[in-house]
Amino acid sequence: MIKPVFSRLTGAVRTAALGAVLGAGAVLTGCAGMPGMDSAGKTEMKAGGHEYMLTVTRPNKLHVVDTETDKLLHSCDVPGTFGNGSIAISPDGRTAYVLSNMMEDVYGIDITNCEITFAAKQSYANIQVKTFISLAVSADGKELYTVQNPVRKHIDRFETMPPRLAVYNTNAGLNAKPDRTFPVDRRITKIAAMENGEVILGGGDIKAINPDNGETRLITPLQNWERAPDKWVPPDAFAMHSMGEHVGEFIMPYFTIRWNGEPGDESKADFLWGHVRIDLKNGDLESIETVPFEFIVFNWVTDPNNKDVMFGSFNQLSKHNVKTGETLGVHGMDHTYYNINMTQDGQKIYVGGAGNTISIHEPDGLKRIGYLQMPGDMSTSDLRLAVLK
Amino acid sequence: MKKNKITRALLGAGALTLMSLSPAQAQDADGASIIRERCTACHIDSGDADKPFSRISEQRKTPEGWMMTISRMQKLRGAVIPADEKRALVKYLADNQGLAPAETEGLRYVLEKEPNVLESFDPLIQETCVRCHSGARIALQRRTEEEWKWLVHFHMGQQPTAELHAGARDRDWFGIALNQVAPKLGQDYALNTQQWSQWQAATKQPLNGSWAMSGFLPQKGNFNADVVVTQTDKDHYELTLNGQYEDGSKLSGSGKAVVYTGYEWRASVTVDGVKMRQVLAASADGKTLTGRMFERDADVMGGPVTAVKANAITKISPSYIKQGERKLITISGNQLKGSVALGSGVKVIRVESRDNNHLTVLVEASRSAAVGSRNVQVGKTSSKAALAVYDQLARVEITPVESIARVGGGGGLIPKQKSWYRAVGYAAGQDGKPGTADDLRLGYMPATWSLKPFDEIAEHDDDIRYAGTIDSRGIFTPGDAGPNPDRKMSTNNVGNLAVVGTVQDGQQTVSAQTHLLVTVQKFVQALID
Repeated sequence: MIKPVFSRLTGAVRTAALGAVLGAGAVLTGCAGMPGMDSAGKTEMKAGGHEYMLTVTRPNKLHVVDTETDKLLHSCDVPGTFGNGSIAISPDGRTAYVLSNMMEDVYGIDITNCEITFAAKQSYANIQVKTFISLAVSADGKELYTVQNPVRKHIDRFETMPPRLAVYNTNAGLNAKPDRTFPVDRRITKIAAMENGEVILGGGDIKAINPDNGETRLITPLQNWERAPDKWVPPDAFAMHSMGEHVGEFIMPYFTIRWNGEPGDESKADFLWGHVRIDLKNGDLESIETVPFEFIVFNWVTDPNNKDVMFGSFNQLSKHNVKTGETLGVHGMDHTYYNINMTQDGQKIYVGGAGNTISIHEPDGLKRIGYLQMPGDMSTSDLRLAVLK
Repeated sequence: MKKNKITRALLGAGALTLMSLSPAQAQDADGASIIRERCTACHIDSGDADKPFSRISEQRKTPEGWMMTISRMQKLRGAVIPADEKRALVKYLADNQGLAPAETEGLRYVLEKEPNVLESFDPLIQETCVRCHSGARIALQRRTEEEWKWLVHFHMGQQPTAELHAGARDRDWFGIALNQVAPKLGQDYALNTQQWSQWQAATKQPLNGSWAMSGFLPQKGNFNADVVVTQTDKDHYELTLNGQYEDGSKLSGSGKAVVYTGYEWRASVTVDGVKMRQVLAASADGKTLTGRMFERDADVMGGPVTAVKANAITKISPSYIKQGERKLITISGNQLKGSVALGSGVKVIRVESRDNNHLTVLVEASRSAAVGSRNVQVGKTSSKAALAVYDQLARVEITPVESIARVGGGGGLIPKQKSWYRAVGYAAGQDGKPGTADDLRLGYMPATWSLKPFDEIAEHDDDIRYAGTIDSRGIFTPGDAGPNPDRKMSTNNVGNLAVVGTVQDGQQTVSAQTHLLVTVQKFVQALID
């Protein structure tokens, strides 16, 4: 058997490949009939900082879960074929922007009444535009950002075009077009808006762009980090989901290998999780590799009560001290879960994605305290916390 | 919706071989006029005789390659091409923009659907391309550098997330593919080659006549068959097969074949009620056909075949004899006339039976016969190093060295994908040490078969209980598809196993093992993987 050269990350994380993107046909907009709704298709929702967990299931529904009762409150139809279930939430917690139609269109949906208040079809003429996960809303709620990956469909060939940040006015209505676009790197998968107005671009390297003028600065290099190649393998950052809103941060996990002996000598190597964590309020940056690569995770989520503690999920829900690398707890799950999020007080962990159940856990011993059957497959969808003002 | 997609994909995979059922009149259809009629809504008719149609004229492919392209045009780009015109178009393109025999050498396994092949390409190609599909899929195409670049662009349009996969997202995948890989492919697999121009100029031999075929099928073992091939039209043939397996049971079948590019033999045959495909290559002199014959609906279940039209030996079975041993040996081939000679120290006691294409001889190797291989001669026909004389069985190797089987059935649409194994015996050779370069290959030997967990995890998860079973012929049948509530996390009946083959040779018992990964179904079916 031919052993692959481990100069780059290959087999170790291959099992964590992107899920297939197959979907069913478009469905009508509006609220799906759920118990507890009034005749206008609305359910009573508490504002004033009440927290709701949002997710998307196939064929294409946006769900609102009340974190107080852990009940599925209601479900809104999302136009178009399921894409990857990305969600970005407005600062007032009222509008969920959902990436739909095979990752091409964005719909802004009022989570209190399922009304569609914003729609942007990104593809136009012979240009096919896909957005890989990356959606964000500005801190003032006035702008929506997407990273567009356009391809021109000539009559007999495709032509790949450079990616760009598209800036939409969130008041642009149901036929929104970008106000501005600026060139960005390829392979950006998740973005976040900082309070200073910049947008973090999570790609091969972590950068920030000023969405007014397109000026870009490097926050921290990952793929182009200046570490000795005989000591470190350039990281593989796999950012399937956006999150961190419960503590106001952007987090990009990555996997790397530290060669303690000869490069390629796995017996003397450390296989490590690292992450870049950025405070969206002040831009403070943390970059660290300590957690052993014993657990596959797609995400880390920070304990609001102790930022040295993080939780991850896949086949296990695990708890780690990211400063010491210590594993603080492991809970075996009943099936694979891609995604994880928490409430702002840190008292509940929601584990979802991959299947059709959300498993709810307490943060100390990781014991299951709730289990929610969803009406469809969450697949690669986000699990995001909306704090309704 | 999902159900339909899978059904279509399965149909697509079988479609090329259906072409061998094509009516003869279709072959005369003018391929260029079909392109003008059906393809120029998108492809530009340049008026340049050297490259009349944009994109199309700047590529060369195997018949399967053209079939995949045209099927994609139909399924994804809205091309409307009736079945008979599609058959004629694949034939036209494969004949006029195909690959020379030398250009497919060493890569035919992917056309032949041979399972469990381990590829090794240049690391740049391996990491950029072969993480998703076979390297042979690339190496069986010829394009200009510019065309290879358009193929990279195609990947971004058709599979936009390709640059986000593991093995792509940790580097500038698109830049590497466009600026490093495409120029390399333009060099390594250029559109215009001497091999192709020479092959185009070569006289192509008709393949009708009487052939002697030898082969192996996993269910029944070695077989020999007389194959009569009749030409029905240019490059179109009918064939009958009549022969027998090593156990004496009869084999018969018939079917149709189309020859593409002057040498690519594709036949649909029904052998004892089982629909099978032949993917064979004709030699330049038109006297030999080699390749693989496999079940239409289970392409893993097949094996190598060789057919000869000239006077030749195709198989010796068994291919080994021990010092001091007396046994029956069957020699197969075509027009085997004259006396039999098996080299020094190996005596023919008597000829038990013979006809034109087979003879069975009782043979004895002297106790002092030197260990080593012998040429086998029948009259003026000989086969080099075809019989091994050995002292003792020193080691056994199980083929394939790595293997995959796939769960299936269980109420799902995708059938199980089996795997099968054979044991190859070796003597230690001159140095008396097994596992060294001078080991003497004896050939395939009968074996008994068992399974065991490959590692501690497989043992802990009790894979052996769920993943499948192996029969006395070395055929592994995987478990049913779908979540299994009896297993941890209701996982599928997947497993990590070792296949153990044990050969009994006189008083000696020698075992060896190989790796078997039982995994999930293959949801994307491709004519060329």
